[in-house]
This record gives sequence, C-alpha cells and structure tokens, in this order.
Amino acid sequence: MSESTSASNRTLAVSGQPGNGIRIGNGRMLDRKNRLRIYNRSFRIVCVASAVFVCLILLSILFFMFRTGILTFRSVPASTFFFSTNWDPENESYGAFLFIFGTVALTALTLAISVPISLFVAVFLSEAAPRWLSNALRPVLDLLVGIPSVVYGFLGLTILIPLLRDITGRQLTDGLLAAAIVLSIMVLPTISRISDDAISAVPAKFKDASYALGATRFQTVFRVMLPSARSGILYGIILGMARAIGETMAVVMVVGNTPQLADSLFKPTSVLTSNIVMQIPNVPFDSTWNYALYLMGFLLLVISLLMIVVIRVLQKKGVKA
Amino acid sequence: MKKWIKSLGIVTMAVAFAAAGVSEAGAASSLSGKIVVNGSSALLPLTLQAASEFKKLNPKVKISASAAGSVTGPQSVRKGIADIGACDWDASTDVPGFKKFEGQVANPVAVIPFAAVVNKNVKVESLTNKQLADIFSGKITNWKDVGGSDADIVVVNRAFGSGTRVNFQMKALNGTEFMSKGDNYKEVKSSGDMKTAVDTTPNAIGYLDLVYVTGSIKALKINDVAPTEENVINGKYKVWGYGYYMTKGEPTGATKAFIEYVQSAKFQNGSLKKLKFIPLSAMKK
Repeated sequence: MSESTSASNRTLAVSGQPGNGIRIGNGRMLDRKNRLRIYNRSFRIVCVASAVFVCLILLSILFFMFRTGILTFRSVPASTFFFSTNWDPENESYGAFLFIFGTVALTALTLAISVPISLFVAVFLSEAAPRWLSNALRPVLDLLVGIPSVVYGFLGLTILIPLLRDITGRQLTDGLLAAAIVLSIMVLPTISRISDDAISAVPAKFKDASYALGATRFQTVFRVMLPSARSGILYGIILGMARAIGETMAVVMVVGNTPQLADSLFKPTSVLTSNIVMQIPNVPFDSTWNYALYLMGFLLLVISLLMIVVIRVLQKKGVKA
Repeated sequence: MKKWIKSLGIVTMAVAFAAAGVSEAGAASSLSGKIVVNGSSALLPLTLQAASEFKKLNPKVKISASAAGSVTGPQSVRKGIADIGACDWDASTDVPGFKKFEGQVANPVAVIPFAAVVNKNVKVESLTNKQLADIFSGKITNWKDVGGSDADIVVVNRAFGSGTRVNFQMKALNGTEFMSKGDNYKEVKSSGDMKTAVDTTPNAIGYLDLVYVTGSIKALKINDVAPTEENVINGKYKVWGYGYYMTKGEPTGATKAFIEYVQSAKFQNGSLKKLKFIPLSAMKK
C-alpha cells in the first residue's frame, strides 16, 4: 500500500506536477506525510472529543439530577412519591403520582390528536396535492415549527380557553384537554413535515408496482406508502413527542397548575414540567421539597429517554418485518 | 448655517457640563465595591432604578441585580451569594409557610399595597375580611352568598412562596389557609398571569399588587374601604406590606450606602413614587 503511494508520488513528481515534491525533494515529502498524519490524528481527536463531550454532558446531567433527586427518599418513602396523589409540600406530603399521570396522559392525548391529523397532512402534501400547492405549503409548515412555544401558550390562554368555556358552559376550562390541543397544534407541523419527507422518499417503483397490481389510490397509500415510510414517520413522532413531554411554557399557561389528579379533561391539574417551573423559584434550597422537584426533573429525563429507546426498538422490529 | 453652529455650540456645552458633572461626582465619592441584589421580582424595578442612579453618584460601585421568587432573596443572603436579598415580607420573622432567617436584618425600602381583584362581570363591590377568607379557603363557592349573582366563584391563586400571596394571606385573610383543590381553582406563576387570568375568566377572583390594577380589571373594596394610595396612607386600608432588603447582620460599606440611598427622601419621593410604590415616610405617624 505504502509502496504504491510513494510510487504514485514519484510518478507525479516525474510528470512535473506542481507540488512540494519537485522543488524541495524527498526529505520534505516525509515532512508532508508527517504533517498529514498529525492533521488526521488531531482531526480524529477533535471528533472523538466532541462526541465524548456530548455524552459527558448527558451523563453529568443525569448524574446531577439523580444525586440531588435521590435525597428525597431520605424523608419520603418511594411508594408515597410514586403512588400517592397528595402533593402538599407545605404539610410534608410529597405524592407525585398526579404529575407523572398528568405528563403521560397529556402526551398520549396530544399524540392521539396530532398523529392522525399530521399523517393526513403528510399524505396530502406528498401524494394528493398539486406540486405548486405542496411547494407553497411546505415552507409554511417549516415556519410554524419555529414559532416560540410561549406564543402558542398565550393564544391558548386568550383564545382557546374562552372558546372552550363557551362550548362547554364550564367556569374554568383549564386542564388536560386545553393543554393537549395547544400541544397538538405545536407538534403538528413537526410530525407532518418529517412524515411528508419520509413518504416522498419512498421509491416511485413501489407505487408503480402497487398500481400495476390493480390497487386503488387509497390502498396504495395505506398499504404501500405509509408502511414503507414507517421509520421516517416514527422519527417524526419521536420528535413531536419529545417536544410535547418537555414543553413547559405553553402548558403552564393553560393547564391550571392545581396539584390534583386529572379525572376529567377539564379539571385544572398539573404536569411534571409545569409543576417544576411553578415551584422551583420559591422553594428553600436544601429542603425535601427542592429534592422532590429535582427527582421529578430526573423522572422527566428518564421518561423521555425510555420512550425514545422503546420507539427505537419498535423501529428496528418494523424494519425486520 | 448659523443654526448649525448654534446647535453645535449647545451640544458642546452640554457635553462639557455632563463631563464636569461626572468628574465632580467621581471626585465626591470614594466609595467602591460590589453589591449583588437578588430576590423578589416585585421590587426589581425599584432596585434597578436605584442602582442606575446610585452608580452615577458612585462610579466605582458595581451593582448587579436579578430576581426570582421572594424567598430566594434571604436564601441567597444566607448562602453568601447576594449582599442584599429583596423580599416582600420581613424574613427575620416567621410568616405563614416560611421560617425566619436567623441573623438577618430587614431594611424596609418601600410600601406595597395589595388589592383583591375580580372579573368585571362580578357585581359585588365590597367584601369583608371574613368573606374573603371564606372564599379563598373554599367555604363560600357561590357569588350569591356574598351578595352577587348566582354563579360559581373561580378562585385564582399565586403559587406557594409568592410574596404577594404571603402578604395577602396575612393582611387580608387573617392568616387563613388557602384552598388547594377543586374544579374552580387554579394557580398562576406571576402577577402578570394573575391579571390575565382574572381579566379573561368570568366570575374569577384573585389578588394583585395595586400597581398591576389597570384596565378592565376591578379592585374590590375591603370592609368598604377602597384600595387607593390615599387610604393606605391614612391608615384605613390595611392590606399592604413593606418591601424589604434583607442583609446579613447590619449592612456595611457600599451596601449600607446603597440602602441609605434607596431610603433617602430624594429617591423615595422621586423615582420610587414614579414607579407607583408608596414612600416609607408617608406611613410614619
């Protein structure tokens, strides 16, 4: 290998290519080799270091949240923290189940609303819409992704909640449904744009084959296009879900922030993120309350990590099948 | 052309005067140091205004001010992160929900009035302390029980730890515990959110710093006394509190000078009044 390289270098030098070889001779050739080796090595080190750095950040966040959060269990039994619904830190009751339930229920509800709509939008964009229309709509969706969440929250507070109040006739409509609608609107452009890209990337021969076999357009879309684009669509859903779980500002404005279990869609309740942001500025530093909030942050991390892992596994299975 | 020269002359003179002023101030003050202020967001506008004026007089003093919740103030002072902890209550004594901070001195800097507020559709004009306490603790749940129309009361509350909440609980509700659950109960995280929530929710009741009461929101009379600056000063309206600068022991050096500046008649009757706080001197009888 090295022989052939030096051979080709010599050929280059002989054939009069401009380069260090001719003017400076063989000694400098080695220099150049060394220099290249150093460049390559250092580039490699920089890349590895960057990767390690990212992993370190993730690990240290996990470690720090865990180390502080675990102190909760010095004064609160784990069964109380995870299964009691009585959150009343002023009187030493630290039952976080209602927040965990709230987060899971809110995310599920959000996905239940947003995923079907997003899929229809994506199918429309990639299969049904005329080219000029989808070319006009795609940038619009991209813009929607970039709108700050506080704007969605504010609109939810000032438009959606009075609207829900008029429809239901209730006094207070803050709760899971209001939050889920706001979040659905937020994640809709993310999921539909990525699904749209995934469906558009399915090879045209799949579609042609399906039509050639006599399938209708509906059958083609739902039996061929969507299953082939499954991994891309799942990826879009992961991103949407991650945004829904971690979203704080929009949720805190419409969820009601009352520590009680949401047994109805309109009951003011609280989720992990909204409770942390409501209470963290006002708790004493070294208190069980503070530790409990850290533990809730840690849970939030674990929940989103778990969901990502689960979906990765599903995705692999999907590819195999 | 003449105009140009004239205005140029004025500018030059202004610059010269300003420069003279600065150098004079610099010469007058030998004070130096660094002051860190943390704590109540209600007092932040006051602190920032005072800091910018104080820095002009004492260019060698550096002041950095930030805000989170009230309780962060005395906590930061205890941990040594801040020299001054702004707090909406006297943190050197016990208040509902918070133990006293040992060894800290409360330096009053302003008077803050609070008001019970309702949505404009509520017909009630005045409530007694007892009625307010019953509403906020969840005993009275319908407006008709306090002389209004037949509608459920929506209670909007600040989150635990809010200075406004502590003051309102002590001064307006006679220390009664707040309710914490229910279909018509919600919590908000700031005065601005409180205002929006009460303003947009029919039949809602909440409470605010008086400076936030503007526009279509309605402030209730308490025991038939309207929440006005005048009634606070003449002692008829009881729902107000001092804003405090907490320090570790008696303040010294630059910190002391800064607190004295904030308490000075010049600042109290000038900028502080403009920011709609009530000067300390107005309350002294």
